[in-house]
Amino acid sequence: MIVLPELDVRQLASPMGRASPLTKLAVGLAWLAGLVATTDPRPTVVLLVAGVAAATGLGRVPVGRFARAWLPFVVAAGGVVLVNTVFGAANADAAARVILEGGPLRVTEPALATGLVLGLRILAIAGVGVAFAQTTEATALADALVQQARLPDRFAYGALAAYQAVPRLSLDLVTLREARRTRGLGRGWSAGLLLALLVLALRHAERLALAMDARGFDAGIPRSRFRPVRRRREDALIAALGAAALAVAILAAR
Amino acid sequence: MEVAPGECLLVLGPSGSGKSTFVLALAGLLGRDVPGGLEGALRVEGPVGVVFQDPGAQLVMERVDDDVAFGLENRGWPRAAMAARVPEALAEVGLAGLGRQRTTTLSGGQQQRLALGGALAPRPRLLVLDEPTANLDPDGARAFVDRLAALRAAGTTIVLVEHRVELAWRLADRILVLGSDGQPVDLGTPDAVVRRSGRALIEAGIWLPADVDAALGVPPPVPGSPVVGGAPLLDARGLAFGYRHRDPVVRGVDLAVAAGERLAIVGPNGSGKSTLGRLLVGLLRPDAGTVRLLGDAPHRLPAGELARRAAYLFQDPEQQFLATTVEAEAGLGLRGGELARLPELMEALALPLGRFGARSPYALSGGEQRRLSLAGILARRPRLLVLDEPTFGQDRATYRGLLAILRERLDAGVGLVAITHDERLVGDLGGRAATMAGGRLAEPVAAEAAA
Repeated sequence: MIVLPELDVRQLASPMGRASPLTKLAVGLAWLAGLVATTDPRPTVVLLVAGVAAATGLGRVPVGRFARAWLPFVVAAGGVVLVNTVFGAANADAAARVILEGGPLRVTEPALATGLVLGLRILAIAGVGVAFAQTTEATALADALVQQARLPDRFAYGALAAYQAVPRLSLDLVTLREARRTRGLGRGWSAGLLLALLVLALRHAERLALAMDARGFDAGIPRSRFRPVRRRREDALIAALGAAALAVAILAAR
Repeated sequence: MEVAPGECLLVLGPSGSGKSTFVLALAGLLGRDVPGGLEGALRVEGPVGVVFQDPGAQLVMERVDDDVAFGLENRGWPRAAMAARVPEALAEVGLAGLGRQRTTTLSGGQQQRLALGGALAPRPRLLVLDEPTANLDPDGARAFVDRLAALRAAGTTIVLVEHRVELAWRLADRILVLGSDGQPVDLGTPDAVVRRSGRALIEAGIWLPADVDAALGVPPPVPGSPVVGGAPLLDARGLAFGYRHRDPVVRGVDLAVAAGERLAIVGPNGSGKSTLGRLLVGLLRPDAGTVRLLGDAPHRLPAGELARRAAYLFQDPEQQFLATTVEAEAGLGLRGGELARLPELMEALALPLGRFGARSPYALSGGEQRRLSLAGILARRPRLLVLDEPTFGQDRATYRGLLAILRERLDAGVGLVAITHDERLVGDLGGRAATMAGGRLAEPVAAEAAA
């Protein structure tokens, strides 16, 4: 079952938790642009450390929680390092310094360096994503998108409702597969199964849209706001620290 | 017809009589969200609040107070007025102080009361409810109807579609009866409707409270005869199970079912009944303890063999449909002899293939979907039936038909485990009943005592 992250009170009351999701999004996107642009390990390390510090320090995300969310990306990064080190094109270069040789295997220093940089980059990008996800509630993101980014209500709150239906969808899939087994059809996949899943998703969306309209959604009256999103001190803080970390990263580059 | 301010109108009708369509019309959703042809005139003074059947499909926001505020935001209420009204509406439905909780952490009964709070928050002139207690356990249903009674006493105008008449009857000032063709059959006070159309209501399959039944001379149901000394079919000992990263939902359950024996499992929503059912038929592997289905651990059996030994009816019919027509769905996975039984069985389940065979399973009413999901199971004739809410959405006639089929299977030596909120079914099946609470199953008692 997919479980959406549930943030505790301390995460939500932290400077990262109180800042507007759009501020965090802007800082995160600037960092991602920097990470994608460079192949230099030093700025990558700077932003990796800054991302972890932002989540666990400014965001009060418990270290164990951060690690659990980060773990799949650590595994992926490890795989990338391994593949690039063993199969890197640089290994064919006769002039390169050899670290390890045996049978068909020939690992050179430049291949290892490339692998490590790529792995670090994945870790840093994932760190930024986890820092955002572990300090941002879906409702806060939808509120900010509507009130600050002026996105249409129908889009933002429709997406929010759909996002909350994700656990239900995964439950539907589990149940449909169980239903196949009880009918003597085995545990496999089939076109019918996927079609049934699609129908369930559509029917759920249909019911939800009906319920939303029954409560006057999109009735042509301008909506008021139960939770107004305001610019706060934390927004300035996150933006300033984010820009500073990016500046340090750029200065660290060769 | 007219509904006066402060009045409570109860709408009754057999399954497929257009009750839900009537609700959609009152809510102003026909023609807008639901395509179709609408004739006649309807005038509603002021805004309408609507509560639907499925609690999970009408909550929009992540947290309780945001969800109540959603309808107020849509109507452009000023922020200060919302801040005052939201806790008030939550208190009106008995959820005071739960504002910052996630809606997913509430029980089904609480979720449905939250939906009621959201509908009430904008102070609608009319409240319309479409089978609001259908998915709730008996306690949740009672708590919900108590809230409705308080609202009615405070002068709210209510139109209520409800199968659970035992609870809803006392709320009704007047009753509207719809026939199977969607035409109104009768309209009047409960006493007048029973006097004028009592027999017709029973013949149409509409449920009435037990005392009304008795007054009309309907014989009380005869409980099934208990069976002794059948061959053991299912034996579970010390069963425990927890989903990943969660507390265990089934703890130390022992139970045994012999041929011809019936066991009802009752208890509140979320007490682990459905998980226990899945363990019994090998859809889940127990963390501790053992299940033996005719001597083998069911989760290790190949699918074909498992299906011959045991069947499982899932709680939500739609979640088990795998085909696009009624006929294909009923016959899915069946072989020659089993398929041959299907036409007669579908007739007995009031789903004759001639009329329903080519339809989409999703286009059926909730009660019809329930019977369709039972058809494939009953045609296969496995030795053990584990059925989660087998009587959901059934009117009196289809309930009788279903009960007759189940009794016939029991007489043929099938074992039955029925997971249910339907107190009537528990009594009518006879045998034993056991209450589940907090993942533990109490010692079974005679079904008459539990019902």
